Amino acid sequence: MKRKIDIDQMVERLLSGDRRAAARLITMVEDEAKGHREVMKRIYPHTGECSILGITGSGGAGKSTLTDHLIREFRKQGKMVGVAVVDPSSPFSGGALLGDRIRLQSHFLDDGVFIRSLASRGYLGGLSKAVYDVIRIMEAMGADIVIVETLGTGQDEIDVIHVCHTCLLVLTPGMGDDIQAMKAGIMEIADIIVLNKADLDGAERSLRHLRGALAMACTEEGTWVPKVIPTVSVANKPGKIQGLSELASAIAEHEQYLKDSGAIDKVNFERVEQELGLIFKDELQKLIFKGLKGTGKKRKYIKSIIDRKNDPYSVVEEVLNVYLNPGK
Amino acid sequence: MVRNKKIKVLLSKVGLDGHDRGVKVIASLLKEAGMEVIYLGMYQTEQNIVKAAIDEDVDVIGVSYLSGEHLVFTPKIVEEMKKNDLDDVLLIAGGTFPPEDIPAMEKMGIDKVFRAGSLTEPIADYIKNNIKKGKE
Amino acid sequence: MDQVNQKKQVETLEGSWEDYIKAYYEKPASFKSWSGYDLKEIYTPRDRSAEEYEKDIADAGTYPFTRGIHANMFRGRLWTKREVVGIGSPADTHERLEYLAHQGGSGLNTIADVTYEMGLDADHPRAVDEVGLTGVNITSIRDMETLTRDIPLDKVSWSVITASTAASVSMAQYVAVAKDRGYDPAVLRGSIQNDPIHFRYCGFRPACPLDLSIKLGSDVMEFCTKKMPKWYYTTVNMYDLREQGITAPQEVAFGFGIAMCYIDELIRRGLDIDEFAPRFTFYVSCHIDIFEEVAKIRAARRMWARLMKEKYGARDPRSMQFRFAVHTAGCSLIPQQPLNNIVRISYEALAAVLGGVQSLHCCSYDEPMCLPTEKGHLQALRTQQILAYETGVTNVVDPLGGSYYVESLTDKMEEESLKIMKQVEDIGGMEDAIRTEWLDAQFESEAVKRQKELDSGEKLVVGVNVFTTEQEKSTPLGVQRVSSASAKQQVQEVRELKRTRNMNKLKIAIARLRDDAGERKNVIPAMIEATKAFGTTGELLGTVREVFGYPYDPMEILESPFQ
Repeated sequence: MKRKIDIDQMVERLLSGDRRAAARLITMVEDEAKGHREVMKRIYPHTGECSILGITGSGGAGKSTLTDHLIREFRKQGKMVGVAVVDPSSPFSGGALLGDRIRLQSHFLDDGVFIRSLASRGYLGGLSKAVYDVIRIMEAMGADIVIVETLGTGQDEIDVIHVCHTCLLVLTPGMGDDIQAMKAGIMEIADIIVLNKADLDGAERSLRHLRGALAMACTEEGTWVPKVIPTVSVANKPGKIQGLSELASAIAEHEQYLKDSGAIDKVNFERVEQELGLIFKDELQKLIFKGLKGTGKKRKYIKSIIDRKNDPYSVVEEVLNVYLNPGK
Repeated sequence: MVRNKKIKVLLSKVGLDGHDRGVKVIASLLKEAGMEVIYLGMYQTEQNIVKAAIDEDVDVIGVSYLSGEHLVFTPKIVEEMKKNDLDDVLLIAGGTFPPEDIPAMEKMGIDKVFRAGSLTEPIADYIKNNIKKGKE
Repeated sequence: MDQVNQKKQVETLEGSWEDYIKAYYEKPASFKSWSGYDLKEIYTPRDRSAEEYEKDIADAGTYPFTRGIHANMFRGRLWTKREVVGIGSPADTHERLEYLAHQGGSGLNTIADVTYEMGLDADHPRAVDEVGLTGVNITSIRDMETLTRDIPLDKVSWSVITASTAASVSMAQYVAVAKDRGYDPAVLRGSIQNDPIHFRYCGFRPACPLDLSIKLGSDVMEFCTKKMPKWYYTTVNMYDLREQGITAPQEVAFGFGIAMCYIDELIRRGLDIDEFAPRFTFYVSCHIDIFEEVAKIRAARRMWARLMKEKYGARDPRSMQFRFAVHTAGCSLIPQQPLNNIVRISYEALAAVLGGVQSLHCCSYDEPMCLPTEKGHLQALRTQQILAYETGVTNVVDPLGGSYYVESLTDKMEEESLKIMKQVEDIGGMEDAIRTEWLDAQFESEAVKRQKELDSGEKLVVGVNVFTTEQEKSTPLGVQRVSSASAKQQVQEVRELKRTRNMNKLKIAIARLRDDAGERKNVIPAMIEATKAFGTTGELLGTVREVFGYPYDPMEILESPFQ
């Protein structure tokens, strides 16, 4: 396969559904390789229609098994499914163990499913900056729905709520997750709460807790009250699965709600606003530090701050002044 | 200019062999060496491996053999890789095999064989120095 | 000119002798046991708190059996020299069995290959490439007949190493053949590994879901308890757990945890502890730290005795005896400088014997390369024989007993194991530990630790990170190849059998098996009947799997032909 980037070819192949083009493009985006922006600009007009579903929850909640079953549900509906599974990068080595694909075995040879494992690459929210583009690439390749599965800590500027239309939070009974989640305010973020392993002890009580807490929190008329759906999604017992079709319905319902109520506009606005902010921040930071480095000023500034001859705010004001008012 | 480049590795077992201690340890330690590693799991076929390698756009495929199946499955994997144009992906193998079989495995298409009892650094170094980074 | 040359000569000499002189003064780098415990320079009588010999140590053959389960140990009977055999077709395996038996082995031992353990027939699409590569596949009663031909089943002791849920089928196949040959199952002597719970960690998760493992494992145990009084119905396998890279105390703690899953189930079924516990056995590893392994075994004996008496209320002393076989540690062997493995295996076998083992398998030195060659297998047997007949270690019971070091280390092993068992209890018990993948996490983190110890040089292994040499080009005693012709023939025979057997008879037998499984009865009798009707491994196991809600085929390719 040719390695030199031919932008036209890449775009054409991607839009015609070529998986390898999609795969290569995702790598380019992750690595911020030369030419990836050009390609993304060309692809952009071909995106914006697909549903984006986020699935978060702590390890052990059964997210991946749920994803596995949901993919099956969507495939039954004739949809082409893109799946971006994200794992945290090690803050020490920068490497990552991308361990979700292994749980999606049954879809490996289905041409209607495209699975890509991503590392968070330094971002703490469980996602990486690349995920916006990854979703677009999958859509441009032909995906009707893209699932983004991540740990989701709710702790960074890039988080699943900023990226997805519908957010699922997966909890399990008796793990204290329900209480923790309520404390962390995560409940305000999830559109659907999945109580997985609902066949375990304590499920009834967890269900009541969650529904009660949600009813209290959401009092505004016309807004979406997060649904709580109990599921049993055991990995290797096909006969034991429960709640999956209800879940799929709830997801469809939320999608419909977004369209009917116009809330989708707010969601899209915030998505774009968030992404724009990220790109600006990133670009400006790179620009400024690059400029400083080139002139050797970065080192001088930092030293002067350490020596207490200057302070961070003054330095930033000074530098920005130069950039925003060049020639003055 | 390429920034933020990470080496992507796909590790897998093939056939029914269930000895996965080694491949899991290597997955962990390659992560600590800064690579992004996907362990595909047990009971994989050559189709699963190659398809994953394409979708995940990996630089290296590593296969783990501990039940005498290395001469049976290697040609199948290499054939599938060729069919799908993956000749710029590094193919390495680890596990238990008689040293007599290593030249045969290399001839079949394995770039480097690492026997059980290998230390981690030579594996990580080999990968870093040999991936076909013509993916510029 | 001369002076310059002379000086040069001296300099060179000094350079090359420096290392040699340094080596003379070399000190070991660490003073920890293999499992990581700090050791004192010397142990003295002051290290034993109260000399409560009768309570904590006691003579061999007396509770708590720390020193040995029999009063006279090897003076009464040498350990069984039982080398594991499993290669190619049933006929090939039979040949190797006979060879070793006539070379002085004292016990028969056959091991299943990956396809059989997975519950697949030899002609299963995923099995055809791998039949016979690492053991033997017994698809039908005919295969079992070939394997056992001419061998007097009432006189020999046969260890059937099938560990997964397929062990239920193995037992049925063995009994079916024995019955056909006119033996009453009650006279059969031997054992079956039958430990499906642990086998999920050996790559057989699809064949060993937890509930089915407990069910079928206990069915075999219950059946044997009632019908085969001379048979050991389980060898709870701590060895495989140790092979994951865990420490000695973890090995005992997790092994006991799994054993308790079966015991609890058998008690739930109404069996009295003393009814079955005397036939409960274990498979234990012996790794390279000789003293730690001996201490581990002595601790295990004491712990088991106390566990049986105090937790389960056993009254029969035989219920309290920790009966075990040893497999020397495969994971301690390396392909570099392979003949060194013979030395490692010897030390490990020594530890097993000093520990008071009942039955021993020594690895073949070529384990890290291939299946044992005939020569390698023989070497392993000879290792046992030299130990038994030349070294004198069999003369005295528990020769290391009373050593201040060993008694101290025994206490330490017990203390650490009990700590881990408590940890497991605190998270909800062994079943929960397995279900939540807590145990998986332990294995993974320990395995990474072991590799880092090697990478950093904290643990030294000759040939790996110290005293390394060029990679060998060949294996010293040759390579064992498995004839693909044998495998192909077995596959053909299986296909032929399926074509020519009486399907009506079989359908009736399968229906009975399905009913028994559905009514949660013990399925072994129905499996025996189905085996006699030429039902195969995949068919028997698949039928039971379906009743329990699992896919008929563990590999999810085939459907049941008996809808």
